[in-house]
Amino acid sequence: MSDATSALVSDPARPQVSVEGLSRSFGGTPAVRDVSFAVGTGEIHGLCGHNGAGKSTVVKMLSGQLTPDSGQIIIDGRPVQLGSRQAAQRLGVALVDQELSVIPALTVLDNLLLGDVSVPLVNRPRAAAARCRQVLSDMGLDRLRPQQPLSELSIGERQLVEVARALSQNARLVILDEPTATLSDAETEHVFAAIRRVAAQGCSVIFVSHRLSEVLDLCDTVTVLRDGRRVATTASAELTVNDLIVQMLGEAPHRLVATRPADSRPGHELRIEHLRVPGRLADFSLTAQAGRVYALAGQLGSGASDVLRALAGLHPQATGAVRLRDRAVPFRSPLGAASAGVAFVSNDRKSEGLFMDKPVATNLTATRLPSLGRGGLLSSRRERQAARSLAELAGIPDHRLADPAAALSGGNQQKVFVGRCLGRDDVWALLLDEPTRGVDIGGRAAIHRLLRAAADAGLVVIFSSTELEELLELGDVIITMREARIVARYEDSVDGALLMRDMTHGAHAA
Amino acid sequence: MTTANNDHRPAVASSAQQAEAGTVPPASARGALSRVSARWRPDSLDIGIAVVVLAVIVAGILTTRFFSLANARAILASSAWVGITAIGATGVMIAGSVVSLAVAQTATVAAMIFLSTQQFGLPAAIAGALASGMAITALQGAVIGFWKANPIVLTIAAGFAIDGVAIWISGGSTVYPKVTAFNGLNDTPLGLPLAVYVLLGVTVLTQWFLRRTTAGRQMYLMGENPAAARAAGLPVARVTVIAWTFFGACIAVTGIFLAAFNTGANSALGGTLSLDAIAAVLVGGTAIGGGKGSALRTLGGAVLISAISDLLLLRGFSTGIQLLVKGILVLLVVIAVHVRSARGRR
Repeated sequence: MSDATSALVSDPARPQVSVEGLSRSFGGTPAVRDVSFAVGTGEIHGLCGHNGAGKSTVVKMLSGQLTPDSGQIIIDGRPVQLGSRQAAQRLGVALVDQELSVIPALTVLDNLLLGDVSVPLVNRPRAAAARCRQVLSDMGLDRLRPQQPLSELSIGERQLVEVARALSQNARLVILDEPTATLSDAETEHVFAAIRRVAAQGCSVIFVSHRLSEVLDLCDTVTVLRDGRRVATTASAELTVNDLIVQMLGEAPHRLVATRPADSRPGHELRIEHLRVPGRLADFSLTAQAGRVYALAGQLGSGASDVLRALAGLHPQATGAVRLRDRAVPFRSPLGAASAGVAFVSNDRKSEGLFMDKPVATNLTATRLPSLGRGGLLSSRRERQAARSLAELAGIPDHRLADPAAALSGGNQQKVFVGRCLGRDDVWALLLDEPTRGVDIGGRAAIHRLLRAAADAGLVVIFSSTELEELLELGDVIITMREARIVARYEDSVDGALLMRDMTHGAHAA
Repeated sequence: MTTANNDHRPAVASSAQQAEAGTVPPASARGALSRVSARWRPDSLDIGIAVVVLAVIVAGILTTRFFSLANARAILASSAWVGITAIGATGVMIAGSVVSLAVAQTATVAAMIFLSTQQFGLPAAIAGALASGMAITALQGAVIGFWKANPIVLTIAAGFAIDGVAIWISGGSTVYPKVTAFNGLNDTPLGLPLAVYVLLGVTVLTQWFLRRTTAGRQMYLMGENPAAARAAGLPVARVTVIAWTFFGACIAVTGIFLAAFNTGANSALGGTLSLDAIAAVLVGGTAIGGGKGSALRTLGGAVLISAISDLLLLRGFSTGIQLLVKGILVLLVVIAVHVRSARGRR
């Protein structure tokens, strides 16, 4: 990339992009409150905060996906209105999103040009390919060919292509939202080198990450948000990881010894040995006793959610040995896992959970139909009874049974999803991926009670979460994970700061 | 019927109306069925179908001989062959397999087998035709269910393959029976062709199967949200094969009646059956994306198409106009269904 116009001298003192008094609420709940910070020319600015601190909302406002309720975004000294992502891009803002937004069916070259508003109407393939090769080699991706379809690439390589796309747009501000969550160390190094290179050319960078040591390593300055407010903006040279954690958590939640004894009945446990998922989970072993709640603490890409998905049969390429109640669990397919007594609650109840257009009653009974009749026939009476008693158990009012699930609140939908797995005599292990994502406080407490009751009824309960309060409140055993591996296991006293440290930069257990 | 019914409406559904919902025929019959609660609010599909039915009634009143017993018989008779296949297609569409474009070919093969086995007696010939139809579609269902093939692509390929094998075996000539054991199939008890009774029987059976069996319920669930059905550990592939196998049986029955009526079968016998069946299912209001619909709706769709064709015929419109109107009708219903589901999702 030899672009004379963007070869400005790096000058962190001169703000290139700043936000002033930025606020935004959703349905009356403030997500971001009066946040101000400035990013200098050529500066790499870290943005940290625990879940719900408002990072994503700030990123969405800066990239034109959300409009602020009040406050200003100033680029090159001029207040700007970013009505859409395209508008933001035209003003020089490029975004690497948490979610992959590259298209597997297209080639590497097509993906690099995707959404680039500066691409001429009539493409010049040779010039484009040459530029593409340069961009790839900057990213350490010399092994890729521009004409290769993206579907041949690993998830990490796709993420690198996405980063390359943002960095090659000659943007004034590049925002990277958790770009390294799925990357290996070597790949991360390439991303960092590329980020430093664009910063040296005068581009401002906002780097959002849960990996605090990476943030300190890469960034010049770090702004920490908590509960939607800015806590501090500090030069990273003056910070340690512990300082960051204290800024992020304030008073760290703490748990004293409060674990429950394991179910003494032998042979009821879930025994996981050397579970591996290529590219996602390195090596996971755990013996989970019936009657206890196991919490997997890990950020996006830590492998915590992949443990559960693999056990539920949703990672067909997973390997290892899993036994439940001394019977092998055939976890190559969801059908096999379910028939061995594993029930799974996905973190995405919309696309992988409920049948939204179907009545609540149908959703509650959807996975236990064979037990509600004989010889493949349904008994309406028994189905009605089952739906009523499950609704009562889950705390759904009777009169909502006939409503479509879509009409319920998020909290009630989640109760239906969890309730669907309860009260079955053929389910012995309950796995939940982020069981209270998008659920209000009341619903959260209700779901926690359900999970505790399920454990008390003799089930193995394992859930994954990124929320410290939830992990500390509900987990009898907490297992922290990072980069596809277990970091540590806690059965007694542990506090939020320790968990956070493990999740963000803990050393791996031997 | 239970509160756990699978038909869909906006959030206003009461349990009484839910119980109704599965059995909503064209609007003209609704009054008679009425246990409709005060909270009932029609959706775009109901309104659309009501308007079409009203238009047919008004046009029918203005058309001599439309409202006569003989004409009613003619309408039912002409809807029977397509209707039987369409009822089978309903299950497949509800289960999320979209459509089959190999229906006409499958019916032709079943018809050929039926005719060439006449000498073994009617039951054996029927059994042979059913078995061949079911085997052909079960295989397609297995490929779709277990290997997640795209149904449209697969059935286009299967259609050519089936056609090819049929022409190869028959030598490209018309298959005639050595003896005719099938004359009874062309009977008209109480003035209606036997096929009409079979259509009604198949409709009731399918409606019962979809509503009252585990596999039927699972078809609605996996049609609405395949990813959720898979993650929940439902037997998605097995149920897909069940839906397709039943579809094959229905196609074979249509093939048998076609063979008996024509007393001969060549590769063109199936004609436009594939698209006619899809049209009947769609006009009934079954969602092409799966998860919604019923056999009774499809019966209504088949009869409505027949009634409109009949009306146009009585008023002297050409076949071209009849086809054009059929196309417009399908389009209107598909739009109405889309509007309804888009509103439901909000």
